[in-house]
Amino acid sequence: MPRCNEIDGLKPVPRSWNYMLSYVRNLGLAGLALVTGGLLVMIFAAKSSFSISHPAVLCGLACLIVLLPLGWYWLSLCAQAGAIARHLENGEPERIQTTHGLLPRLFAGPIANCFQTRNKRLEELQKQLSNLQIQIQLSDRRKDNIQAIIFSIRDAVIVIDGFGKLLLANPTAGELFGFDISNAGMKPITELVGNPEFQQLLDQSRESRAQHIKRHIEFATDENTATFDCVTSCVYDDEQNLCGVVAVLHDISREQQAARAKNEFVNHVSHELKTPLASITAYAEMLVDGEVEDEKARKDFLAVIQEQAQRLNRMIENLLNISRIESGLMKVNKEPLSLTVLIHQVVRTLKSYAAEKNIELVEQSPIVCSQVYADGDMITQVLINLLGNAIKYTPVGGSVKLRTEVDEAGGTANVTVTDTGHGIDEKEIAHVFDKFYRIGAGSNSAKGTGLGLNLVKQIIEKVHNGRVFVTSQPDSGSTFGFELPLMSEQAAVV
Amino acid sequence: MSMSGKKALVVDDEVHIVHVAAIKLRNNGYEVITAGNGEDAFELACNNDDLDIIITDYQMPVMTGIELVEKLREHESTSHLPVIMLTARDFAIDDEQRERLGISAFLSKPFSPRELLRSVEDIIHQSAVI
Repeated sequence: MPRCNEIDGLKPVPRSWNYMLSYVRNLGLAGLALVTGGLLVMIFAAKSSFSISHPAVLCGLACLIVLLPLGWYWLSLCAQAGAIARHLENGEPERIQTTHGLLPRLFAGPIANCFQTRNKRLEELQKQLSNLQIQIQLSDRRKDNIQAIIFSIRDAVIVIDGFGKLLLANPTAGELFGFDISNAGMKPITELVGNPEFQQLLDQSRESRAQHIKRHIEFATDENTATFDCVTSCVYDDEQNLCGVVAVLHDISREQQAARAKNEFVNHVSHELKTPLASITAYAEMLVDGEVEDEKARKDFLAVIQEQAQRLNRMIENLLNISRIESGLMKVNKEPLSLTVLIHQVVRTLKSYAAEKNIELVEQSPIVCSQVYADGDMITQVLINLLGNAIKYTPVGGSVKLRTEVDEAGGTANVTVTDTGHGIDEKEIAHVFDKFYRIGAGSNSAKGTGLGLNLVKQIIEKVHNGRVFVTSQPDSGSTFGFELPLMSEQAAVV
Repeated sequence: MSMSGKKALVVDDEVHIVHVAAIKLRNNGYEVITAGNGEDAFELACNNDDLDIIITDYQMPVMTGIELVEKLREHESTSHLPVIMLTARDFAIDDEQRERLGISAFLSKPFSPRELLRSVEDIIHQSAVI
């Protein structure tokens, strides 16, 4: 059984019991005073000349005879009352023993009952207190968890109450609106948020009590403007009263940029695909309409159709390959291989093409085996694209030189293709590896797909962790090249 | 409808498109001059007072089709010339821009040479009536 004084602020004994016990004590003291008075009268009578029949002496004797036992008894009661009071004060009602006297016999039962009831109530209160403490702890923990979740969200989150005062904001929101979240609590949201459109959205949400409102809002940032997808949701209590509004702001600038880029890319691709298709359909229609009479012209038209169909096919193949590489779906078969051997094979393949334009192909390197760990088909494609471009853009009678070097210090194998063509304008150099960029597109020289060099870049940089580069001077030729990491010893063992 | 003596300028960076358009028009009595970009086309337009119509691609290097038309409209001797624009891009230009630049017709690539000829004849005929 818990002790009464375990709970601060509660008297161990009911006040009415205290009054009663002090009253008994005072009565005892009064009896003692009467006995003392009787004794004093007797002593006075003995010392004076009063006879035994004197009324004062008789009165004293009567006091002694009547009140002495009574006083004694009162003294006993006082002692019992004192003991009871002491036990009660100490919160030990169980120590009141009924064998000790009349008072314990009279009061022990009611006192014990009272204490039992009281102790039950105390137990209940303690249980309630304990439950409340647990609930407070749980509530605090829940609040901490919710705060931690909201703080970890990358979107900006703001929670305001029904009066437009800030209840909670995460660091992203603080950063976006430029306020310190640690001391912004309960401040009016209008003081914290400068964007009028967002303020209007919060007001509208509170006033309309709509469950969700969604709007795209532009926010000025340090560098530029960012578009946010803002969703506000009203929070209600059990009686459907508005408790507050939660606003989540998701930055969709990148998504919009990606959508624009995708749209632009699709437009560009469709334009590029339509261009050869336009030639094919136009030339075919001319043949059908009999616009070409002589056989040579007819053959020329058919050749254009064939050439443009092949161009279309190359474009689609290149697009698919670039897409596969970009999405990581391209199957890559890496093996130890010699770049010089590959160059030799590609030169043999394109020798007749170069010969048509009387272009000399020069290989400068001795054959070195197993220089790199790479996909042979892909590197062959890279070499065909680079060498093919060099031949395409080099005037009749020029030359194209291929060179392989090993940079031991840098740990790379470098390949360069140098032509004696018209060179590339400085403004164009930065874009030559871009998709659909055509070098010298304004001239009437040979047309490409605008994807060949981009495919080279994707294969070298994305698939093989290498690097592409170009140097050029207008009217003095260009050098396109790439470097690949040298094969490591581990890869060589594999 | 005979259009002998009428002169057209065909502008496109795609040689084959220029070639096929020129053959179609020449076969139908037109005199045709050609250019591979907007800058060359503008020079030809300024130097050929007898030019009746310009057929230009929309997307070209050096100077786009739109830039070419804007420049033509600014120049007194070429401001009146009707223009047909070839484009492989949908919605490349809005109605307001089209009206402002006075572009007579748009033809989407891939285009039909027959359709090109019909458009050219219609526009030249309308210009003659006005």
